[in-house]
Amino acid sequence: MTYPAKLVERAQRMRRLVTISLLFLGLTANCQAKNNCPWINEATASGLLGGGAVGDFTDASGGQPAVCTFTQTGAGFTRTLRITVEVTPGTHARLQAAAQACGKNSAPIQAIGNEAAMCALDNRNAGQGELVVGRVRDQLFTITLSTTLKDDPILTRMALKDKAYTASEQVAGNLF
Amino acid sequence: MRKIACVAILISVALLASHTVIPVRAQQDQAQQSGAQPSPDAATLTPPPAYTPLPKGAPPAEDTPAQREAIARWKAKAEQATESDRKAHNSLVTPAYNFHYGPKNPYTPGNITVQGQGFIQPGAFPSAEYCGTCHQEAYKQWRQALHSNAFRTPFYRTSVNLLIRDKTRGIAFARFCDSCHNPIGVLGAALTEDSRVDRARFDADGLTCTTCHSVLSLDSTNGNASVQMGVPSALVDENGNRIPGEVPFDMILRHPERHSQAVMHDFLHKPEFCAACHKANLPAALNDYKFIRAFTAFDEWQQSKFSQRNPLTFYTADFTTCQGCHMKRNAITLPDYGAKNGTLVSHRWLAGNTAVPFYYGFDEQLKKTIEFLRTGNYLNVDIFAIEKPGATKLIAPLGNVSFNLAPSEDLEAYVVIQNKNIGHSLIPEVRDLYEAWVEFTVKDADGKEIYHSGFLKPDGLLDPRAHSFTNRPVTNEGNFVDNHKVWTIHSVAYDNSVQAGRSVLVRYQFRMPADVNGSVTVTAKVNYRHLRQSYLNNIFGKDDHPAYPIVEIASRTRVLKIGENKPEPAEPMDNADWMRWNNLGISLLDQFQYMEAVQAFNEVVKLRPTYAEGYTNIGLTEIVWEKYDSARKAISKALSIDPNSARATYYDGLLQRRAGNTEREIADFRKVVEMFPQSRDARRELGITYYQKNDNKAALEQFQALQQIDPDDLAAHYNLSILYRRMGKKEEAAEQQAMFIDKKVDPGAPTYSLNYLRIHPEIAIESIPWHIHSDRVEQTPGPQNGK
Repeated sequence: MTYPAKLVERAQRMRRLVTISLLFLGLTANCQAKNNCPWINEATASGLLGGGAVGDFTDASGGQPAVCTFTQTGAGFTRTLRITVEVTPGTHARLQAAAQACGKNSAPIQAIGNEAAMCALDNRNAGQGELVVGRVRDQLFTITLSTTLKDDPILTRMALKDKAYTASEQVAGNLF
Repeated sequence: MRKIACVAILISVALLASHTVIPVRAQQDQAQQSGAQPSPDAATLTPPPAYTPLPKGAPPAEDTPAQREAIARWKAKAEQATESDRKAHNSLVTPAYNFHYGPKNPYTPGNITVQGQGFIQPGAFPSAEYCGTCHQEAYKQWRQALHSNAFRTPFYRTSVNLLIRDKTRGIAFARFCDSCHNPIGVLGAALTEDSRVDRARFDADGLTCTTCHSVLSLDSTNGNASVQMGVPSALVDENGNRIPGEVPFDMILRHPERHSQAVMHDFLHKPEFCAACHKANLPAALNDYKFIRAFTAFDEWQQSKFSQRNPLTFYTADFTTCQGCHMKRNAITLPDYGAKNGTLVSHRWLAGNTAVPFYYGFDEQLKKTIEFLRTGNYLNVDIFAIEKPGATKLIAPLGNVSFNLAPSEDLEAYVVIQNKNIGHSLIPEVRDLYEAWVEFTVKDADGKEIYHSGFLKPDGLLDPRAHSFTNRPVTNEGNFVDNHKVWTIHSVAYDNSVQAGRSVLVRYQFRMPADVNGSVTVTAKVNYRHLRQSYLNNIFGKDDHPAYPIVEIASRTRVLKIGENKPEPAEPMDNADWMRWNNLGISLLDQFQYMEAVQAFNEVVKLRPTYAEGYTNIGLTEIVWEKYDSARKAISKALSIDPNSARATYYDGLLQRRAGNTEREIADFRKVVEMFPQSRDARRELGITYYQKNDNKAALEQFQALQQIDPDDLAAHYNLSILYRRMGKKEEAAEQQAMFIDKKVDPGAPTYSLNYLRIHPEIAIESIPWHIHSDRVEQTPGPQNGK
């Protein structure tokens, strides 16, 4: 049994269209998969990183803190927002130690959790970043916002501070 | 490859969702889109563009055809962009949204709605910084105010997080709270488990400028955010059509009148607007139980002297709205093109919240809040009388009578606290978290404490036996509802708030030491703390936060000599003696001490024989006391002094009903309704009279009017359900019946309260209207501070 060439061509076109649509839907479903980070959603993280970010969440286990990592990758650069949270005794002392380890530029920030401090990260990898260490009751959190670009037009030094503050407000707010 | 494609799609969607045609935002986004650190000043704002206002009375600027064309082009482009952004946003968020209450109720349990189809993209709301460019003073004030911090504070987040984490609830239920605390998040579909919405800006800005200034209409005075939000607009065109989104500043500055038309509505000046969020009930959709009144500052205001809508207030005052107290006009210190004669209505909304400015370090807001609480003559504290055991006469009013005191005497001090000039209750709203109480001290001449009630314990918790203007919500198991888990509230064990214009008598019993000499100093203070220490402990952890401010709102001290005491001059803030007696009478009436109340009111009319209200007070007490004959005499006397007294006429109506004089009863209530069309009491009584007379049409009219004033009035629901049924309106009847059943108090609820009180003897006495605080502390078991 043969079919008219026009009909075959139309069927093939339709198959291609369906395949592309399915691929598209599959991708879309994948990239919009439920975001499991309990403290900040992917859309907010994307806004902070200046573009579509991909998130990953690892729950706490074996004494290791829970970790959310959002990365935004471009041509030759990666921007990262990394959040860790752990429930631990002596959070105040640990926070103090972490802030001290940050160096002289560590500064307390008001109105984030019970207490928090922020500092600029070293430019060891030619990039720059900002670190927030804070706590809500006995939950210690760290937020690292960084870029591999030395002169990132989105994550400038000032923007890093602002966005790290926003990220910490989101995280602390969800930890209360 | 897959990842790159995925990221590319996400970027495209994100760009589409956040796309806007407005270039103004692009200038500011970089610094502000992600939400800035709390900035007490307006330093982050760009300077305002140059502007010279038109002379007063000058006609609006006339546009050239080219300018008209430019606006039309802008409008068309803005509409198209807003609409396509909205469609893209809905495509993104709708598939993942939890329509817990069905697709037609995306915002339930909140009452908020939005203009147009589907969710509205958060980017449709111009930023506060955009508005702040020309309104720098308003921006600065707003940034420190409660409205801008309505969502992000730990005080709010702790409560709402409990709701979100509750296994039987979840984030969909938080739309109830966030409809007022974070409306852009609710309307933008952010409140769902798998949120696709960038929350940074609206979480940080809470109630931003373009939430209040975008409301198009008030749906009712039901509260729970019963407003319709419009698509935000900063300008209308020449025909009054709204242009969505931000527009270039030069367009606004050329037509400030069109800017006003877009963002200013008459209702913004009215208490009904505040009612949208300052009135709340817990609906069955939230608690799976029934309607429970949460708070209603609006109704309290409506029933107060300041509304001039209620003829039954004890005192009268000039008409004052919510805005009249909380948005007073002040001189500006920063440029603000909304200012008039160098002044602007306050966008600080000063009230009682000291916790938020304390936490954020907003020193100016904190200072002004404390000043606000201490000024305004809001409360009057009167150490009114002393009673000695076995004495037949009260030593009163103190300061105006002679008396003797001796060592070892047992004394009872009468402290009368008058809610004098607050347009709502003391404490209003979330009174399970706020804390106002009476601190009463008696000290000897060396400053040594003889008696102290209302002290703070070393751990910061309030003396559980203090007289506190609080309430005690309880669960169906009789447990105190801590942490503001409002969805578990089934009853209120007691509510010791003082309604506007009323007074409370607080009694303190103490013994004078045997060796006391010279004098003793008696002080009564009303202190206020935002928030209760145990709630602060729940938020931050016990011993893990600084002491939050305690503000002394009002106080009075009297020095009492051992031996003879003679009359002394009054202090400037003291009430006149007739008013002191009147306040005592009011408080005794509220404590069901009718005989003593009548005696107090008799003292009022002795001091002011021509004061009609004094006789009315006697009359109303006797009506409640069911002594109708003497009540009639008192009311007649009041009406003979002031024949047009609506208040006396109202009570005369009740007495005429009792006597069976229906026509006089109707005439009385009609007269009151004519004088006070928004009197809910007069409407209700007139409706009942007509109903009893079988005049269904007239009764219907009154109950419908009553429902317009108070949509929750039970008598209105009950009678309307019967009247509609008689008229064959089955659906309306069923609706009213359902509302009556939902809103009336659960007959089982008092059991929950009693369960709580039984296991808390240390505070159970506070549930009794007439009670005494004593230095004879009995060691009773039970947890501290009602927990």
